Amino acid sequence: MRRKTVVLSISALVIISGSFYGFNEYTRKNKDLVSVSPDVQISATDLIQKFETDETSANKTFLGRKDFIVAVTGQVKEINRDENGYYSIVLGDVNNMSSVRCSMDSLHQQDARDLTKGATVSIKGAFTGFNKDDLLGSDVILNRCVINKNN
Amino acid sequence: MHKLTFFFIVCVLLYGTAAPAQDKFYTKTGKIFFKCTKSPLEKIEATNRSTTCVMDTKTGMIQFAVLMKGFEFEKALMQEHFNENYVETDKFPRAEFKGQVVNNSEINYAKDGSYTAHVKGALQIHGETKTVETNGTLTVKGNDILINSTFTILLSDYKVEIPSVVSDKISNTVNITVEGVLEPLHK
Repeated sequence: MRRKTVVLSISALVIISGSFYGFNEYTRKNKDLVSVSPDVQISATDLIQKFETDETSANKTFLGRKDFIVAVTGQVKEINRDENGYYSIVLGDVNNMSSVRCSMDSLHQQDARDLTKGATVSIKGAFTGFNKDDLLGSDVILNRCVINKNN
Repeated sequence: MHKLTFFFIVCVLLYGTAAPAQDKFYTKTGKIFFKCTKSPLEKIEATNRSTTCVMDTKTGMIQFAVLMKGFEFEKALMQEHFNENYVETDKFPRAEFKGQVVNNSEINYAKDGSYTAHVKGALQIHGETKTVETNGTLTVKGNDILINSTFTILLSDYKVEIPSVVSDKISNTVNITVEGVLEPLHK
């Protein structure tokens, strides 16, 4: 009788904690990058150069993980706001067509409003990829971006 | 001397009016939204806001490029499954569409207004290329061209396999909406 109670209690505990873990995992949101330490800190011009010189080798470093967080510092070339109010900040050298494009996190759109063109800023974002384009200029894309205040 | 100045001004004015009109338009902040929800209990949809599009109004050529890893889902787990198991974004990072506005001659890019565009081209996703044909709207507004189109594709056409355990949640038919504001390309 006592053994049965112990077995039942353990089973109930396993089921409850399993369900709790499953539910948490199922409803998990993408991490807010404000409190996440970057995997790499780099300047916008160096980041662009890495991909323009050897895309395959740079992809090996930056891709292949769930989240590779990049803290990038550079000059603000453009501040774009789409018709739904979403901001993307373009960093890099104004004389180079290639850039780092940072799509701001939906929870941190207000941070982009205070930026000014020409200012130097540090932005933290999840590496999304390199979009090679000979006509428009290539871009390194970062998503879920936040202003890196720890810089 | 005055005659020479006058001649110079006339030359500049004539050159100005005879200069070719802007043909190429582009955006790097186009939006692609897709949904493949099957069960009303669970929304399966994602948005990408970094889509590149270039259009040549003279020839009707239109191209899109998008980084698949840039699609954002509401739930992190869904996004991870999309990247790792379904479209394998590390192996196939980009999706592309290269096509043509078939009825380009019917669109007056010099006049503000909304026009129906019949677009046909090759869509590459997950390393597979298929022909896609759809109607969209091109709205000429001042210097910009606003594009909007909704069409469907089948996941099976692009060899995206859905495990049977989630087949009651993920539809094989994907509804895709493309939107963007194209600006003149000054080179």
